[in-house]
Amino acid sequence: MSESCKVSSERRGDVAILWTDGYINNQGGEEIAREAYAQLDSGVRALVLNLEKTRIVNSIGISILIEVLEKVMDKKGVLAFCGLTPTIDKTFRIMGLAQYAEIYPTQEDAVRSVTAHPA
Amino acid sequence: MTPPGPASPTTRIDELWKRIGPVLESDLPLPSRVAEAAVLATGARNATLYLRERDAWVRTGEKIAGPLEPGELPEPLPAGVFQRNGELWLPLSAEGSLHGMLRLHGVPEDPPADESTLLAFLFGSLVGAHGLARQVREAEFELKARLLELESLYDLGLSLGGQLDLSALADEVLFRSISLTDAGKGALVLYDDADRVLLERSVGGEILVPQDCRQWTLPEGGLINNDSPSDGMRDGSCRKYLAVAISVPGRRLGVLAVADKESRDGRVLDFTATDARLLSLFANQAAAAIETARLHREAIEKERIERELELAATIQKQILPRDLPAVAGLEIAAKNVPTRQVGGDYFDFFPLSRGRLAFLVSDVSGKGVPAALLVSTVHAAVHLQIDEAKTVADLIGRVDRHLQRYAATRKFLTCFFGLLEPDTGTLRYVSAGHNPALLRRAAGEVVQLKATGVPLGMFPNASWKEETITLCRGDLLCVYSDGVTEAQNAAEEEFGLDRLSNALSSHAALAPDALCREIFDEVEAFVADAPQYDDETLLLTRLVG
Repeated sequence: MSESCKVSSERRGDVAILWTDGYINNQGGEEIAREAYAQLDSGVRALVLNLEKTRIVNSIGISILIEVLEKVMDKKGVLAFCGLTPTIDKTFRIMGLAQYAEIYPTQEDAVRSVTAHPA
Repeated sequence: MTPPGPASPTTRIDELWKRIGPVLESDLPLPSRVAEAAVLATGARNATLYLRERDAWVRTGEKIAGPLEPGELPEPLPAGVFQRNGELWLPLSAEGSLHGMLRLHGVPEDPPADESTLLAFLFGSLVGAHGLARQVREAEFELKARLLELESLYDLGLSLGGQLDLSALADEVLFRSISLTDAGKGALVLYDDADRVLLERSVGGEILVPQDCRQWTLPEGGLINNDSPSDGMRDGSCRKYLAVAISVPGRRLGVLAVADKESRDGRVLDFTATDARLLSLFANQAAAAIETARLHREAIEKERIERELELAATIQKQILPRDLPAVAGLEIAAKNVPTRQVGGDYFDFFPLSRGRLAFLVSDVSGKGVPAALLVSTVHAAVHLQIDEAKTVADLIGRVDRHLQRYAATRKFLTCFFGLLEPDTGTLRYVSAGHNPALLRRAAGEVVQLKATGVPLGMFPNASWKEETITLCRGDLLCVYSDGVTEAQNAAEEEFGLDRLSNALSSHAALAPDALCREIFDEVEAFVADAPQYDDETLLLTRLVG
């Protein structure tokens, strides 16, 4: 597994898809937050985080994802996750991320859902 | 007309609330609401709110949030309203605890003392409530993290219970260990039975030196090293680590280590006893699963060997003659007792023209399917070449060339091949490295027919000498495999050539088939319960014509 988490993104209308590759820890979480905030500041309303290339998340990473989620909610936006391993899926549900962000099996499902989500 | 006097306190509070109420009730984050309300209430040019979070002060604000610069807050922190360098500082307290400091810059005139106190109380209450909410959130987060640990232990047990793939098992254990200890890095090494590195995994960079950490003394519950890396860790790979042994009673299966525990502010934290306990639990589960996987692999290997042996036995059984030939002037007996390992003994008879009989006994090196396949090749070669060969030596040469060319394995075999003419008693034979055959003369003498060349398949272009000897009426030829003479008893003593020779003499009056049974009975009595590892083959023929 690579040393650090890489984050890439693509904007599709008012939806931005963020792909992570690697360990979502402090550094990985900061990378995600930086990219997410940049997208939100540029007018994106909905974020889809595709974690299919991530197999580990620690509690620091989760707390940063919660901060991102709070920021999205402050801006009345929506956040969705997809491509989670069963372990990460369960982690997100236990840690409360799934309470305010939807989890979808595929990116297509997530994008379709947030696109239809009312602003 | 009376000039307007100072507004009453009630009126001032009403006016103040009109100014700041809408901001305080807005959807902005609380620190922004407090700072904006403070500016509106005091007419300051700007306001900065500092909050005490856990054990540290942080600066809040849209673009300025972050840790403090040295000397940014007054020291010691004032208990009441405080002025410094044209700035007004309001300590924000609630229920006796200081939760925040409000710095107001460019205040046009000092607000009335009672108004400052009111603002400090109001903002202190808000900030205190905000801090309390944060503490509740953090406590809830911690609680969830503990629940996640328990769930992970449970899930890991379930997951590893059915996990027979060592690589997947190692990933599962390592990923969960790193995740739940908040480590930045981690590694897992497994060793095989000979203490060689069987598998190595790492995340966040390599931290272990597998051969060195195999020797580590790891106490029960793990080794916490928050000071400096030691032998077994790669130089400069980490600052703090926690390592535990993956062990079953009597043997270390591997080492699991995590390094550099992270914090939200980028510091490397010490590993705790709780981390060590968690990692030990993971290591225990991993050890149980690895042992299960190893036992499963062994069971599969055993099953594979059993199947292979069954196949080899089937091959051998189909090749050995089902019936003995009836040849005028000869009494014949032959028997093969295969061992469990199927050694690759082979005997055969070839009735030829003019009442002659050819026969062979061979013993292939090795066991199992490779040996059985070589026997099969020899069987095919002899049957193909026997009608073409001009002499026994020529036949053996042809079989050897066939083996050199077609045999799938580079094994060799010993072989005694004889051609007997009952009419004349002439025996022509070649012994390719085979045990000496025994010819017991009717008069009682036992003659050894020794090897006339090297085993087949051993050297290219080898040749064999053909010997001739004449049998008389009543003479008995005994050809056997080394499984008979090398059969061992519990004291590792061999049955030996002498006992075989004596048995031939002691029971000379018996017909070959009865003698064959008698010899096998004697061998069986000799070895008793000692396990045997080689096939036993005996071929007897007596000239009676």
